[in-house]
Amino acid sequence: MTAKKKASKKKAAAKGPAGSTPAPARAQRGADGVYPETQILSRNFGVEDSWTLAVAREQGAYTMLEKALATMTPAQVVEEVKTSRLRGRGGAGFPTGVKWGFIPQDSKKTKYLVLNADESEPGTFKDRYLMELDPHLVLEGCLLCAYATGLDVIYIYIRGEYPLSITRMEGAIEEARQAGYLGKNILGKQGFTVEAHVHPGAGAYICGEETGMLESLEGKRGHPRIKPPFPAVEGAFGCPTVINNVETLAHVPCIIEFGGAWFAGLGIQPDPANPRALGSSGTKLMGVSGDVKNPGVWEFEFGITLRELIYDYAGGPLDGRKVKAVIPGGLSMPVLTAGELDVPMGYDALQKVGSGLGTATAIVMDDACDMVEACENIAHFFADESCGQCTPCREGCHWMEKIFARIKAGEGTPKDLDLLEHLFVNIEGRTICALADAAVWPLRSILRKFRHEFLAQMPGQSDPALPAGSAAVGAR
Amino acid sequence: MADNKPTITIDGQVLAYEPGQTVIQVAHEAGFDVPHYCYHPGLSIAGNCRICMVEVDGWPKPQVSCKLQPSPGMVVHTQSALAKSARAGTMEMLLVNHPLDCPICDQAGECHLQDYSYQLGQGEASSTTAKTKLPKNVAFGEKIVYDAERCIKCTLCVRFCEEITQTNELAMSGRGDHEIVIMTSKGEFDTAYSMNIIDLCPVGALTSRDFRFKSRLWFMDFTESLCTGCARGCNVVTGGRDGAMLRMEPRANAEVNQWWLCDEGRLDYAHVNGADRIASPRIKTADGVWVQATVDDAITAAAVALREAGGDVLLDGGCTLEEMLLARDLAKVMGGKARYAAATGGGDKFLRVDERGANAKGAEGLGLARATKAAAAAVVIVERDAHVPAALRDGAAPVVVFATDAASVPASARVVFPHGSWAERDGLLVNTDGRIQVINRNPAVGPDNIPATADVLEEILGELDPAYDWRGRGGLHAALRSESAFAKAQFPAMQSAGVGVGA
Repeated sequence: MTAKKKASKKKAAAKGPAGSTPAPARAQRGADGVYPETQILSRNFGVEDSWTLAVAREQGAYTMLEKALATMTPAQVVEEVKTSRLRGRGGAGFPTGVKWGFIPQDSKKTKYLVLNADESEPGTFKDRYLMELDPHLVLEGCLLCAYATGLDVIYIYIRGEYPLSITRMEGAIEEARQAGYLGKNILGKQGFTVEAHVHPGAGAYICGEETGMLESLEGKRGHPRIKPPFPAVEGAFGCPTVINNVETLAHVPCIIEFGGAWFAGLGIQPDPANPRALGSSGTKLMGVSGDVKNPGVWEFEFGITLRELIYDYAGGPLDGRKVKAVIPGGLSMPVLTAGELDVPMGYDALQKVGSGLGTATAIVMDDACDMVEACENIAHFFADESCGQCTPCREGCHWMEKIFARIKAGEGTPKDLDLLEHLFVNIEGRTICALADAAVWPLRSILRKFRHEFLAQMPGQSDPALPAGSAAVGAR
Repeated sequence: MADNKPTITIDGQVLAYEPGQTVIQVAHEAGFDVPHYCYHPGLSIAGNCRICMVEVDGWPKPQVSCKLQPSPGMVVHTQSALAKSARAGTMEMLLVNHPLDCPICDQAGECHLQDYSYQLGQGEASSTTAKTKLPKNVAFGEKIVYDAERCIKCTLCVRFCEEITQTNELAMSGRGDHEIVIMTSKGEFDTAYSMNIIDLCPVGALTSRDFRFKSRLWFMDFTESLCTGCARGCNVVTGGRDGAMLRMEPRANAEVNQWWLCDEGRLDYAHVNGADRIASPRIKTADGVWVQATVDDAITAAAVALREAGGDVLLDGGCTLEEMLLARDLAKVMGGKARYAAATGGGDKFLRVDERGANAKGAEGLGLARATKAAAAAVVIVERDAHVPAALRDGAAPVVVFATDAASVPASARVVFPHGSWAERDGLLVNTDGRIQVINRNPAVGPDNIPATADVLEEILGELDPAYDWRGRGGLHAALRSESAFAKAQFPAMQSAGVGVGA
C-alpha cells in the first residue's frame, strides 16, 4: 500500500483469520465526518509475506473454498453470489451471479474461466495490489467460481507490464497445486478437477476487452469479436467461458464467509423505482492518481463521495492548486468538474451525473492542467491503442487526435469543435467493441465542459474566462 | 407466408428467411442494395467495415446487417435517417486516409468505395489533415501488387487465404490507422489461387501485375463466358479492347467454381493475343505459295481438297459441341471418323482437374475417340498447341486446317481457316461434371471478321453433301438434344453473341 493512513481514521476491518471474526459492520462517518475504510479485500495487504501460502493460510486462505465444497452445492454458491448483488469490478458493472448463470450446464465442452487481469485502463492500479499482496485470495475466488459454474480450466490473463503480479500469481498457483487446491479432485471433492495457468499479455490495451483478450489468449491478434455469440456460450477456444475481473472474484470468498445478504446490505441499495439502478453492494477498491498529494488505493464501502476520496484520502490538490476536473473511473469515463465532486462513488449515482464508476480509480486534473493538452493526450492514447479492426475507430480515433493536435498547435478554428462533435456521433456506438465509446466519452465531456479553453487556444478567439488583454494563444 | 417460415420486415416489405441467414442476405435476396465491403457470401463474417449498418426497431444503435441474425418480426430500416447517417459516417471515415488517386487507380470504374461515395458521400471533405503514409507498390508474390494506403482493411484477402486456400500467406499487422496487410513468414505467395484476392478486394489495394495500367475499364468490352484452361468450366467474364484480351475474372456459379478461378486459368490467354494470329482464310497455290482468300473461295477450295483426300477429322478438345457435331458429320461424309485430342495433368483438390480439354466430356458424349498417337486426318482444328501438339498435327498430314495461330499449321495444309480462340466463339461446352455451359464471343477480342468455325464447317458439309440442309445454331442444338448422351441434359439458354455484362 502506498497510501498513508491517518491514525485518526476509523477502519472497519475484518482483521484476523477469515472465519474467526464477525462480519464487518456498515461504514459510518465518524464524529470528524470522515468516511472510514472497510478492509475486507485488502485486509491482508499489510501482513508480512502475505502472498505466500503459509502466511495466507494463517489468514484463513482457502477456508471458504473448503466450506463451499463441504457444505454447499454449486447452485447454492451461484445463488449466494446472486443474493449479494455483486457487480463486475472491471468497469461494466454487470451482475456477476447472473453472468455465471449463463454458463450452459449441459455442455460437454471444456469450460473456462478467463480472469481478466489485463488492468490496462489508464489510471487504474487496483488489481495489481490483489495479485501482488493476496494472490491466494484471488485464486480462491477463481476456484469458488469454478466450483459454482462447473469450470475445468482457469486462465489468468495478466498485463505483461505487471511482472510482479505475474510472478506472485504463478507462485501462488504452484503452491496451491502442491497443497492440493488445484489439480484432480480438489480437497478430496470427487470430480472437482481444475487447472490454472497464467497467460501474460503483450501490452495492448485492447486485450483487456473481454473478447480481444480471448483472441489474444488463443494466440491471435487481439481483435474483439462481434457479440453474439457471448463468451458464456462460445468463449475461449469456442467453449463456454466465464470472464471476470480480478477484484470481482476476490470478493467471492467473503460473500461465502459472511453471506450474500450481508454483502448486499453494504453500500448503496438498488432503486426500486428504477429497474436499471441495480445498486452498488459491498466494498470496492478505489484509487486516485494525478494532481493530488497522496495518490493511492483504498477499500471503501460504496457511498464515499468523490470529494471525500480525493480530499480525505488522496490529500487533495497540491499546495496552491485547485482541483479542476476529475475522471472518476479510469480514463474511459466522462469528466466531472470541481463542482460535481459530491457524488457518491457508486454505479448508478455516477451514471446519473453523466459519468460512470468504471474502475473507480479517479484521475485528478488541477488548475494547471491544460484541457486541450489533456485531450490531445487522451486522443493519442486511444488512437494508438485502437486495434484497427473496424472503420469508425481505426480512422476516427486518429482523426480526433490530429484535430486536437492542431488545436494545441494554435491552428484550430471553432469549426474544429463542430467537426469533433460530428465525429463523436459517428464513432460512438458504431463499432464492434467499446474502445471507441471509451475514447469519445472523456473527450466529448471535456470539450463540452471546458469549451472556453479550446476557444482560447484558437487564433482570433477571445477567451471569456481570461481577463481582457490576455494573450489567447498558449495562455495557461 | 404460406409455408410458415419466420419473417422480418425490411423497409416495409415482409420477407421470409431461412435460419442461419443474416439480415444482409435476406435483404440482398429481396433486391435491396445494402452496401458492403468486408462481407462476402463465400467467406466468414468479419463485420469490420461497418458500411452495411441498418436501423432495427427497438435497438438504440445501428447494427451491421452482415452479422445480424434475424428474429421473427424484426423490423429493419435501410433508408432511415439513422441508417443513412451511420453509413455516411462510415464512408467519411473510410475516405479520411484514402488517397484521392482514382484517376490512376486500376479499380476506378469497379470500385465499391467509388460507387458508395457517389451514393453516400458528401461533396466536400471534412478532413483537412494530412493523410497517413503507408507502404505502396508492395509485391505480394509475382502476380499481385498491394497498396496499403488504398486498403480499407476489410480482411477479405486474409480470410480467403485462411479459409479457402488454407495457406495463410497473408495477415494483418500493426494497429489503428497504421494497420496493413502483410505477407506472413512463409515469404512467398505461390498458391495456385492467389489472384482471387484481387477480385475480392473492394478497392484498388490489390491489383494484378498482369492487368494494371493496361486499360480503363470503360473502354473495354466484357462478356460472360467460361475458362477453358481445364475441364472444370469455371464461369468467367472476359475483358477485351481493340482486338486484345486484357483480363479474365471469375463469375459466381455455386455449382461449378463458387466465386473463384485459378491463376493459371486466369492468365491462360497468351495465345489469344499471339503475334501470329491467323486473321483470314488462306489457300496454297499449285506452286506452293500461300495467298489470302475470301471465305467463300476458301470453302470451295477446301471442298475440292477434301473430296480428293477424304478421311478423318482431328479436333481440339476445346472445340464446342456444335463444332464437334459438325466435325463428326463431316468425317462421316468423307468416309472417316472424328477424333479429339487434349492435354491432361495439373489437377488439384480444389477446382482444377487433370482433364484439360474443356469439352472432352462433350466429345465423349458424341462418341468421338481420343487421339493419343499420330494418325492420318484430312481436317485438323487446333486452338491450343498443348491439346493438338505438333506430332499429332503433322502426323495427321491434313489438307484443311482450322488454326488460331499460324505456327500450328502443318506443312501438308492446302487450305487454312482462322479458328477463333474460345474468347471469340459462341457455343456449348460440357464440363467435367457433365454440365452443359455456354461460351460467348467477346466482340473486342481477336482479329476482326473471322468466320465462325461452325459456320464454315456447315458450308463445307453442304458442298460435300448435296442433300445437307443448313441447320444453324437452332438446328444443331436440336440435333444435340436428340443425341442419347445429352437426352437428359439441360441446355442453357444461349446469349446473343457479344452481349457483355457491361452492355
